[in-house]
Amino acid sequence: MDNQQKLVQSFVQALGVEEGQVTDQLTYNTIKEWDSTAHMILISEIENTFDVMLDTDDIIDMSTVAKAKEILANYDISF
Amino acid sequence: MKQSLPVSTPELSAYQVLLRPIKESDLALLRGWRNSDFVREKMVTTSLISEEQQYAWFKKICHDHTQMHWLIEYRGKPIGATNVKVPVTGETVNTATTLEPGLYIGEPKYQGNILAFAPTLALYDYCFKYMKVDKFRAAVKSTNVAALKYNQQLGYQISSRDDFIHLCLQKEAYERQTVTLKSFLSRLRKS
Repeated sequence: MDNQQKLVQSFVQALGVEEGQVTDQLTYNTIKEWDSTAHMILISEIENTFDVMLDTDDIIDMSTVAKAKEILANYDISF
Repeated sequence: MKQSLPVSTPELSAYQVLLRPIKESDLALLRGWRNSDFVREKMVTTSLISEEQQYAWFKKICHDHTQMHWLIEYRGKPIGATNVKVPVTGETVNTATTLEPGLYIGEPKYQGNILAFAPTLALYDYCFKYMKVDKFRAAVKSTNVAALKYNQQLGYQISSRDDFIHLCLQKEAYERQTVTLKSFLSRLRKS
């Protein structure tokens, strides 16, 4: 599984959405499944999947799938 | 006379945000936020606030010991406002055991964001630790689902319903419920 697939699966697992919904444009708080509770579960899922520990600013800034990739790139995870 | 002394509002810094007392120079920014549709429609009073009304309000709160108001800053920029008020006549914020909080995030980028919990955590931690407060109570419009969920994530329990949903938060429930939120919002910065 490549990093793109891992990230999509993290969103699917954490938010309980379909794979097809996980596009770069998917945005925090625009679907009922991605609220602040789910956001914390998502952060945990991403941290476990990619073996990283995000800082608080990253947790706050991770507002889209595209932004998640951008942030993870700072942790040497490429997409 | 005690009530004429200026209110001494502490500056609070925690969970990446700074809460500082509101200054007169903040009023234009606050009024813009307060009159925005996003904020106004969730308020009990939904009418537009004029500059004169706001100035009168500001002069009042500077000497009103039944409330404290803060501007919220994140990364050095203002993002919203928060406050506490005394619900019981005859008490002050420094003697009350129950307070009513208020909050809005005016900066659109952070509305609905997990960051919106940070000022509340900073404020409640302070009130529970350094003031006489052992309980918060809140009332949200029954249509304001987001505010209800927000409060419940902090540990609030619904106490009654009418046109508003009335909620109550005990210190123990708050501490139990906010462990994860606090851990996410209190990590060290990389730089």
